[in-house]
Amino acid sequence: MNALTIKKIKKFQSIKRGYYSFIFFAGLCLLSLFAETLVNSRALMVCHKGEYYFPTYGKMISGKTFGLDYEYETNYKELKKIFSEKKQGDYVLMPPVPYNAYENDLKKNSYPPFPPSYKSKHYLGTDNMGRDILARLLYGFRTAIFFALILLAINYTIGISIGSIMGYFGKKFDLFFQRIIEIWSNIPFLYVIIIISSVILPNFFILLFIMALFGWIGITWTIRTMTYKEKEKEYVLAAKAAGASDYRIIFKHIIPNTIAVIVTFAPFSISSGIVALTSLDYLGFGLPAPTPSWGELLAQGSANMSAWWILSSVIASMAFVLIAVSFIGEAAREAFDPKMHSIYE
Amino acid sequence: MTAYFIRRFLLIIPTFIGVTIIVFIITRFVPGGPVERMIASAHLAAASGQSASSGISQDAGNQPLSEDQINRLKEYYGFDKPVITSYFSWLFKVLKGDLGTSTRYYDPVWDMIKNRIPVSLYFGLISMILIYSVCIPLGIAKAVKHKTAFDNISSIAVFTGYAIPGWVAGALLLFLFSFNFEIFPFGGLVSDEFEDLSLYGKIYDLFLHTILPVIAYLIGSFTVMTLLMKNSLMDNLSADYVKTAVAKGLSFKKAIFKHALQNSLIPIATSFGNNISLIVTGSFLIETVFNINGMGLLGYEAIIERDYPVVLGILVISSLLMMIGNILSDACVALIDPRVKFQ
Repeated sequence: MNALTIKKIKKFQSIKRGYYSFIFFAGLCLLSLFAETLVNSRALMVCHKGEYYFPTYGKMISGKTFGLDYEYETNYKELKKIFSEKKQGDYVLMPPVPYNAYENDLKKNSYPPFPPSYKSKHYLGTDNMGRDILARLLYGFRTAIFFALILLAINYTIGISIGSIMGYFGKKFDLFFQRIIEIWSNIPFLYVIIIISSVILPNFFILLFIMALFGWIGITWTIRTMTYKEKEKEYVLAAKAAGASDYRIIFKHIIPNTIAVIVTFAPFSISSGIVALTSLDYLGFGLPAPTPSWGELLAQGSANMSAWWILSSVIASMAFVLIAVSFIGEAAREAFDPKMHSIYE
Repeated sequence: MTAYFIRRFLLIIPTFIGVTIIVFIITRFVPGGPVERMIASAHLAAASGQSASSGISQDAGNQPLSEDQINRLKEYYGFDKPVITSYFSWLFKVLKGDLGTSTRYYDPVWDMIKNRIPVSLYFGLISMILIYSVCIPLGIAKAVKHKTAFDNISSIAVFTGYAIPGWVAGALLLFLFSFNFEIFPFGGLVSDEFEDLSLYGKIYDLFLHTILPVIAYLIGSFTVMTLLMKNSLMDNLSADYVKTAVAKGLSFKKAIFKHALQNSLIPIATSFGNNISLIVTGSFLIETVFNINGMGLLGYEAIIERDYPVVLGILVISSLLMMIGNILSDACVALIDPRVKFQ
């Protein structure tokens, strides 16, 4: 790492709002990776007749293993009750929220959604089908954030390559791609996604593909303009004089010099990725039905406003995450912006 | 300069053809189009007819429509010809000002669009006026008070607004003010009994229905404009000519309003032309949340119902507006900034 980068990182750390948002956001991503150990219907640990089982990851463990009378996957919540009644030293350690995102926790004589309750461990209540909202929020977040991150990687790879080539070579290649981009960016992309996903049932990767198809344009434009500016500078001339190939000049000299712009744009691309997926899910054209997603919760919440806990928890979590991301973006912009501002007293 | 703008206007043509041909092809190859829907509804009708007459289901699996009828339907919708031929026949009709008829409501597409434009225009104009009248002063204040408590707090507010998409904010507003506090109505443009109200009642009713959607529209666009204003004013404040002006004894206020401000409005003008497409087409997500019958909702419903003439009609209008908007933006810049020369 060169001194300039370290200086920029120091500057970023000094912008408290953005820095803490970054820690919060990174922590949340990390947490969501281990969601199975926090919010899950499988137990963390089962002690049965002196043997220890860790059912969280790996294959399902049949009920027979624990001396129950069924072959299918053990219901650990029931098992916990049975063990504590028997009092033979066996025990079940459940995660803090003992529900997964798919199970319907129904009660007799009443219909979901159920309000938040500490006793039933539905800390944020259940949705219209009796599924735990906290579980759906967390797993939905994981899907959304990794969707946005992968989308970012794809878009930026395409955009940076095409943009820098357009800017560097200019002329006909540039003109040709300019027209293509102009056409492409005039196509209402949400419409096309809706048309396509109303025909084929989209999954994670199909959605990713369609969004990437339209998502590379913004960054391509920016990098193109940056490259145009950079290639006129002396260091490029020097590299050329030293006999560097075009490939080397673009990837070793020009792109590292545009990195500031890329870093500045990245957080905003992440938040727009999350929002795009959520909008599609809200309209019902996103990930197929039982997949936990924020958009689906939003749709449920706005259809059933008397179940206030649905809408308020999903909007609150969306606000937290998106605001954190935009604070990161704000700080990154400031840290990577070399401009000095004059302040008059 | 004139030559440049003429060239720009001519370049609209290939782009327009490119955009429409892509969407045309997509609509063509997507199943569930008007002909298939006709067949399906005929199926349904035939099935219920058979059960009513306790029918002999000899030809239950067969098409209820004869081959001939299907062909006539295809011909009617132009599905019998190859894509390119029917694209060009559609294009010529558009050039003559005929956007076709809705396959769903059998109304002329242009009439449907014409009815919706005022609604989107209403919201678009109100939000545009509010955006400019709030963002420019706010941006100036933020630039002058850079790094003070005011700047910090307004930054938090502005970024919060930017983070939350307008339609989500709309859903939240509906939840808070319409459901919980019952201050504002639940979406729509006017109440059901609008016709019976007095003039003041009508204005008040419209006003109540307007506030929440306008806030939802404002929330997102607000940030970009405010920060644009702030940053460009700050760039100009650190430019040498302003330093000179202050050094020569001009008051700070005068330095801003007489010198820096004029130049920093240029980037704002750059985005001015893009407003027309926003004003006319609106945002279909916000229109969906608030159930406002504007252009956005029309386009969205047309896609859901596979009403392709309407989809294409809206595309024609919105892509033309967008391209003209881009050119207008450049023209605005050229008008106010004498340094800019387009070749």
